[in-house]
Amino acid sequence: MKELNPLLHSQLRLAVMSILMSVEEADFVYLREKTESTAGNLSVQLDKLSAAGYIKVEKGFVGKKTRTVCQITEQGRRAFEEYVDALKHYINLK
Amino acid sequence: MEDKKLTPQESVALIAEMIESSKQRVAMPDLRISLMWALLTIITAAIVLAGTLIRYSPWINLVWFAIPVIGIPVNLIMAKKSGIVKGVKTAIDTISDGIWKTVGFIAIALTVVCLIFNLLGYPAAWLAMFYYAFIVVGFGAAMQGIVLKENSYVFGGLFSVIAGFTVVALNLCMIPLLIVWVLPLYMLCFMLMFIVPAFIIRKKLNATKL
Repeated sequence: MKELNPLLHSQLRLAVMSILMSVEEADFVYLREKTESTAGNLSVQLDKLSAAGYIKVEKGFVGKKTRTVCQITEQGRRAFEEYVDALKHYINLK
Repeated sequence: MEDKKLTPQESVALIAEMIESSKQRVAMPDLRISLMWALLTIITAAIVLAGTLIRYSPWINLVWFAIPVIGIPVNLIMAKKSGIVKGVKTAIDTISDGIWKTVGFIAIALTVVCLIFNLLGYPAAWLAMFYYAFIVVGFGAAMQGIVLKENSYVFGGLFSVIAGFTVVALNLCMIPLLIVWVLPLYMLCFMLMFIVPAFIIRKKLNATKL
């Protein structure tokens, strides 16, 4: 049986990936609000997704404030689709 | 939300919830930009109309330049702010940006063409800008309505396109375009294209918040 991708099979990372699948890009503040997570935790999970090549994180400045913008990569999109396929398999089995 | 493991059912529910929460089609900051352009255009037209009726001078037409001179920088500032406020860019944002950038590019190109004609001694060429405002902007508004699934935008846009072609037809038939009805029609079109839809969308957004 196809195994569920452990990197995506976690609440916060999956939430972030689901949002990024349905938008073109989202900034850190938006992701934090939608996922109702803490800044520290979100930051750690974004780093993990970025290290896996699933998302692209760009840090920039708006005036004097920093702004982090995240975008899903093609690799991330494929991984998410495979994860959803695997999920369907699991649910059908049950 | 934490970094906890999920059951397959919880995963499906979470994916659906997150997609639904990021699905909002339009936000108020986007509407403010189109409202700004509409108000600027209507106020400018009202000034030209009043100026012409009170004491006509060809110089009054220079007031039309207030639209790009004020509108472009204000648009750039508002667009930057809107992106920060929303914190997200959807496919709809990209399509809408594309529509209005195209409409804006046509305006700039047409201004250059009209300016060349003016320098060659044909100031009547500026009338083309008028047709542009009715037809091209109207078409842009209708497209925006289709993208946002908002019929009031589509209606306003189509009204403006039809009004534009009527004005062109009258001109081709040598029927004089009297400022007393052409400018009010122009203002009405901008009201129907942008102001009415913005109010309707705001009302819908407020209703969904409740």
